[in-house]
Formats: sequence, C-alpha cells, structure tokens
Amino acid sequence: MSLPAVDVLSQFLAQQPEPVQRVVDTVTTGEAIAFWVLGPLALAGALGMLFARNAVHSALWLVVTMLSLGVLYMIQQAPFLGFVQIIVYTGAIMMLFLFVLMMVGRDSSDSVVEVIRGQRLAAALLGIGFAVLMVGSVGRALTSVQSKGLAEANTTNGGNVGNIGTKLFTDYLFAFELTSALLITAALGAMILAFVGRDGKPARKTQKELVEERFQEGKRVGSIPGPGVFATANSVATPALLPDGSVSEESLFEVIEATDSSTLSDDLAEVAGTGHQPDSHALKGSES
Amino acid sequence: MNLLVAQAQQIEAPQIDYGAIAPLLVVLGAACMSVLLEALLPKHQRWAVQLVLTLGTLVGATGALIFYATSERPAQGVATLAGAIAVDSPSLFLWATLLVLAFGSVLLIADRSVEPGGAFVAQAAIRPGTIQDRAQATKTGMQTEVFPLTLFALGGMMTFVASNDLLTMFVALEVLSLPLYLMCGLARRRRLLSQEAAVKYFLLGAFASAFFLYGVALLYGYAGSVKLSAIATAAAGTDRSDTLLFAGFGLLVVGLLFKAAVGPFHSWTPDVYQGAPTPVTAFMAACTKVAAFGGILRVLTVAFENTQWEWRGVLYGVAVVSMVIGAVLGLTQTDVKRMIAYSSVAHAGFLLIGSIALTPEGTAPGVSATLFYLLAYGFTTIAAFGIVSLVRNSDGEATHLSQWAGLAKRSPIVAGVFTFLLLALAGIPLTSGFIGKFVVFSAAIEAGLAPLVVIALVASAVAAFFYLRVIVLMYFSEPAPDGPTVTVPGAFTTIAITLGAVVTLVLGLWPTFVLDWAGTGTFLS
Amino acid sequence: MLDPYLPLVLMFALAGAFALFSVTAAPYIGPRRYNKAKLDAYECGIEPSPQPVVGGGRMPVAYYLTAMLFILFDIEMVFLYPFAVAADKLGLFGLVEIVLFVATLGFAYVYVWRRGGLDWN
Repeated sequence: MSLPAVDVLSQFLAQQPEPVQRVVDTVTTGEAIAFWVLGPLALAGALGMLFARNAVHSALWLVVTMLSLGVLYMIQQAPFLGFVQIIVYTGAIMMLFLFVLMMVGRDSSDSVVEVIRGQRLAAALLGIGFAVLMVGSVGRALTSVQSKGLAEANTTNGGNVGNIGTKLFTDYLFAFELTSALLITAALGAMILAFVGRDGKPARKTQKELVEERFQEGKRVGSIPGPGVFATANSVATPALLPDGSVSEESLFEVIEATDSSTLSDDLAEVAGTGHQPDSHALKGSES
Repeated sequence: MNLLVAQAQQIEAPQIDYGAIAPLLVVLGAACMSVLLEALLPKHQRWAVQLVLTLGTLVGATGALIFYATSERPAQGVATLAGAIAVDSPSLFLWATLLVLAFGSVLLIADRSVEPGGAFVAQAAIRPGTIQDRAQATKTGMQTEVFPLTLFALGGMMTFVASNDLLTMFVALEVLSLPLYLMCGLARRRRLLSQEAAVKYFLLGAFASAFFLYGVALLYGYAGSVKLSAIATAAAGTDRSDTLLFAGFGLLVVGLLFKAAVGPFHSWTPDVYQGAPTPVTAFMAACTKVAAFGGILRVLTVAFENTQWEWRGVLYGVAVVSMVIGAVLGLTQTDVKRMIAYSSVAHAGFLLIGSIALTPEGTAPGVSATLFYLLAYGFTTIAAFGIVSLVRNSDGEATHLSQWAGLAKRSPIVAGVFTFLLLALAGIPLTSGFIGKFVVFSAAIEAGLAPLVVIALVASAVAAFFYLRVIVLMYFSEPAPDGPTVTVPGAFTTIAITLGAVVTLVLGLWPTFVLDWAGTGTFLS
Repeated sequence: MLDPYLPLVLMFALAGAFALFSVTAAPYIGPRRYNKAKLDAYECGIEPSPQPVVGGGRMPVAYYLTAMLFILFDIEMVFLYPFAVAADKLGLFGLVEIVLFVATLGFAYVYVWRRGGLDWN
C-alpha cells in the first residue's frame, strides 16, 4: 500500500460514486452531452446512407451510424455490446457489405421497375404498420416493465463483461459450442460457393519433388550452360566455350543447330576469330 | 481497494449427463471429423470414406440412443447442460425418427447409380453455363462436402427438438438451416434453378430467423429468462403486461411455422422443393418437418400451455389456411415435385392440428399422435422422392406430370410403389398415412377441436383427388413415344425406397408398437 | 457536476475547430499550383491501378472468401473477449470449453488451408 501509484489510484477510486449509484437510472451530465453529440451523428449517418447516390458512400455513412451507436452503448454501461457493435458490425459486417457492393459492381444501380404492381405502396404500408405495432408494444412495455437486476449485473462479479462471460460459459455453454458448428458451416459454404479449386489441374510439383526427379533421371544435374552472348558477340547462336577453347555442345540451341550453317557462318567465324577483324571504322558503323 | 483485488471465486461447472446427450455429441463430433477428412483426404477417396463415416455415425448414434433409452433413466426425462437440453421421451422418439430418416436420406444423397456421379455438382463455384461448367458436366466427381453438411444439419435438428431454452433453440435453428441453404444450390442438373432455390430459401429463411429472434427478445423481456419453463411460470398467474408475451409468441411462432412450411408461411416450399437436388428435397421434406414440428410441440406444450386460450384461435386459423392452400393449389400443379411440395403444406396443416390439440386439463393428447404422424410421413416422403429421382430423360429428372403418363406400362413396379406411397399420403386405410391422420384427428376431437377436424377431412378429400389424378395418369394413359425412361436404381436408392415403402406398410398394419412408444412420456417441463 | 468533463469537451472543441480551420484555410492561404500528379490518388507511391473496366468495377467473387473468413475469426474473437474477462472464475472448465471452440474452428481453418483457399493466385 505504500506505493504512491497505488495510493493515487485508491484515492481516485474512493472519489468515484458508489458502484450501485453509478448504475442507477439517472442520466449524468456527461452522458447527456455524449448523447447529444453522438445522437445527431448517428442520425446524420443514417440519413447520409439513405440519400447518398453512390452505394459505397452509403456504406461508409452507415459506418458513422454504427460507430456512434457503439460508443452510445458503452456510455450506457453496456461495454460488451459496444465492443461487439464496433468489432463485428463496423468491422466485419460492414466489410462484407463493401465486398458485396464491389462484387455487384460499384456503378451498377437498381432497377426501379416494379415487378408486382402496387408492391412498393403495399410494402411501405405494411412496413410502417409493422413499425408502429412494434414500437407501440415495446414502448408500452418499457413504461410498464421495471428493469430488474441491472445494477447488480453491472457491478458485481467483474461487471458487465465478466457476467456475460460466466453466463456464456456455464448456462449457455451448449449454445456457445454450437456456434462453432455454425461457423464451420459458414466456412464450408464460402469455400463451396466461391472457390474454384485446382482439383481439375494436375497438382504443381514441389521443389523437393522436382529435385528428386532430376537426380533420378541421372542426366545433367546442374543447369545447361547459356550461350556465349555478349562474350564476343551479341547473338544467341554464339556457343559457349569450354576452358580449353572448344565449343560446348550443350550451349547450342537445337533450333539453331538445325538451321542452315551458312546463315550462321558469320557468327561462327566471329567467335572462332577467323572472321574479319574490326577496323578503325567499325565504331562508325559504316561498314557492311 | 476491494475493487482491485476482488477474489476470484470459482464457478461451479454445470453437470453434463453424457449418456443422455451421447447421440447428439456423436453426430456433431462426426460432422467435425468429416470436415477434417474433407480437408485431408485426396479427392478420389473422399466419397467412400465420407459415406462410411456418415452411415457409421448414424448407426452409432442410434446405438447410443437405444442404449440410453433402455437403460435406467428418470421417467420424466433429464435436463442437462445447465438445462439447455431436455432429454425426455418425446426427445428420444424424435431423435430416433430423425436418425432413421436421415439414414434413408443419406442413402439417396450418396447414390451414384441413378445419375452418373450423383445428384450433386462437381464444383459448385464454377458458374453455370460457362465452358468450364460444360467440361465438368461430363465428369463424375461430386462436391463431397454434402456429407458433413448433412451431419451438421442433422445435429442442428436433434438439438432443435431437444432444446429447453429459446437461445439454444435459435442457434440450433441456424445450425440446421445453414447447411440446407447450401445443399439446395448444389444440383448437378438445372443448376440455375437450383441456385435460385438456394437464394430464395436463404433470404426467406433469414427473414424467418429474424422474426424468431425478435420473438425471443420480447419473451426474454417478459419472463426475464429464455428458458421454456420460466416463460410458463411467468405466464401463469402474473400481473405483468401481456403485450410482450403475445407479441413475442406471435413472432416466435412465425419463425417456427416458416421452417415447418405451414401455410401462409409456405411460399418458399414449392420453388425450393423443385429446385433442390431431389435427395436434398427428400431430406428437407422428411427431417426438417420432424425437427420443426418437434420444436413447435415443445414450445407450445411446455412454454405456452397455460395461455392456450389466447393463441389457440390464431393457430386454428393457420391450420385451416395451410390445409386449404395445400389442397387447392396442389390441384393445379403440373410438376411432381411441386405437387408433393403442396401436399407437404397440407400435411403441415394436419400436423398443426395435432400440435394444438391440448386439453384444458393440461394433457396433450396431440403430442403422441403428432410424433407418430411425423415418423409415418417422413418415411413415405423419402420413398416418394426416391421414386421421383428414377424417372428420367436425357435432361435429368422428368418431373412434368405429362411425362409420367403411362408409366405403369414402362415399369409396373415403380408405378405400383409410387401408387402405394400416394395412397399413404392421401390417407387411405392399410397405410401409415391413414393411422397418422386417424390418431391426430381423434386427439383433436378429444381436445374439443371437432370443427377443425371436419375441415381437415374435407381438405383430405380434395387432396386425395390430386394424388388419384397421378395414379390415373400412370395407369390409364398411353406413354408418349419420346417419354422418360425409368432408371434401374442401384443398391442405395433401392434400400431407401424399400425402407420407406415397407415402413409405410408396416405402420399401416401394426401401428401399436410405435404408437405405444410415442405415447410413453410427456415433455419435461 | 460538469467539472470532470469540461477539459474533455474543451479538447473536442479545440480539435474540431483546428481541423475545420486547417481544411478551410488551406486553399486560401496556400499557393495554387496543380498538376496531374498532385490530383492523383496517392497509393503508396505507385501508380494507382485503374479499376477493371468490365462490368462497372466489379470484383471477382473469390475475394468474398477473404471477407467470409475474416468474419469467422472476428466472431471467434468476440467470444474470446468475455472469456478473457471471466477466465479466473471459470477455471479449468472454461479453458476446456474455449479450447474446444477454438479447435473446432481450427478444423474449418485446416479445411480452407488444405483446399487452397488461402493461396493468393
């Protein structure tokens, strides 16, 4: 306890309101300010999403909304929900949205022709009706139902996240483990539907297999000598010379060997040193 | 300071009754192994190894189930895994039903004799109609991922019928649905139709899941728990606002009815049944129906039994709508698969009658009747789709009804078996379909649903007409000269069809044994 | 009541004002000499690669696999977070559970890897 840092920390903690008081149903000033900053931002993001002409811009507007909501959740003492909102929705789901948009084509637009007549009107009416029904029932329930055990859940046993952890790994352990089955299926599905394997083509040989094959053949193990290009002439027909000055047969191209020797005689003569020697005018290129 | 050095108290680990959930663990574990095999095995070995693993799993899980069911166990059942899974008599019956029906379906799925290479495409990621697609059409490989997907779906179904809280139920619903969405899109022939079916099923299924989840959320708000028994306790004698309860119930039931393909939530059924590869259609029609109604039965009897007077009228109406839609629209169909799809919608209506047959005294005579009906209907359907896969022309299956004209002259055996199965679907005596309808209707009368039974009888009569139409077509029409041929099936399809037809007959003649078993116990509450 | 938040609010306001000021003022006080290189999008010093012309900038479906796999392991992380917070209380039992979960996802990973889903072609 004598460490100054711990002292400062414990004093800081002592100044904080009691945990139970912190979670009671009051809105602190900070919370109010954060709400009035983040609320309009979220709304602006949502409106931007609706009115942006470009689909990618729409998606990015949605990110603004989701991030604002994530921070709002954290302020409302639901840190887990906030982090999940940011990690899963803003991270993963939005990325999926963007991938899908890119796949469909950034510039493609919806057909605005109604396939079924009156569909849009009916959909709008039913949608609004559903929204009214849900908001009405939930709203009524919110006024007549008291939250129970929230303060306790957020303060004891490591708080919000810790309690979710213990619940998840004891009461809901089977649902949790079953989620992994869901994720495996998702991986299988993505592979089946989006990945064309190499099954049809012969498998590419590995380096090891190639080396073993080469040694088993028992022929030349190293690489074939290249032609004598640039040694004395700049033709690929120029053979490489062995240390004793003789021509290395391996460096000759079969194609060139097969061509009429008279077409190559100049090159051969040049390598053998029997051709005409460059004279002082050679650099000017006036000869031949 | 106590915040910083809070003592870590160890939490008690929940008790797990491994014996009770062994069948479930075997299926899910084997599904994971199957994925691993899919990753590690070379292409040419996959089909054989996966088939052996899948069939072995089904046999092993059934063995574990029989072992547990015959051993010393609590009569009212046990809730294990912190109360998430309830292993009671209906659970065990449904598990056994699912495993045996899955066995038949897997035989159809694995068959490679009717269509060279099987009913599944070699590489689903190749776009239909391209040069590569035409090249792969001649190959005989198949996407062997179908086997792990089937096992995952089965595991999801088994969890679904046994889940004792709504959260587990939701995850199970997704685990059973996701593989089915995928499998629908893997047909070897008519790939665009198949992919369209998959997309349609996926979109509507996702919609239904959202309804279900919203319902769960509202019910949690109402009861403060997602456990079925806690919802029942909360609903019995409380002054809480009922709004959340009934809004939640409505949304939850929409999700469930969608999976069970009960009209008016059936709109996906005909397209998906038609587009999906026929073995997958058989699997869906039989096993998904069992799973969905297993879930509906448990939710209605355990969680909402004491509010039945509020919701009974609604589901009454839904059952009527479903029977009418199935029977009337079935009449107008010209495609065999679509016809069976509408027939399944009508059957879903009959099953729903059994599900809502609860008496005011708190007994549920409909439960054992519905369980029997599910088993009987599942076997008949698998065999019927097995037959559908046999009638083929150069384009694949010939499902248009006009192509079935005079089939009895080409293949009397296939036409005879199909006639028998159609009679079972219509509910003619000496078939399991008759017994099923009989027990469901008598349970409904016991529960005071006599008017509904009258409507159901009329609907059965109308539906019988379109089954008879096919029979007349097969026997009393001249076959077209360029009509389809009837493929001689290999061992797998033969076994699947024989199994379905024999069970249909046996349950029609001696139903007592299974009826007794279905009625041994009630849901754990 | 407002005390602890006042510096925060002030800082936000200052930061916002500075950003707004810099962006609006830059075109007025800075020299205006534009050329093509300045107006181009900056892509780590390389020439920006043009979008595929065919099909209005569509990407091949294979990229979708990457997105899907990312989500998979993202979800895994979401579950690791509450586990990590509650790990001391859960003890060995919790550890077994999470290892089982991660191992199961490992199967999916092995599958994708062996099939070549992670290869970049």
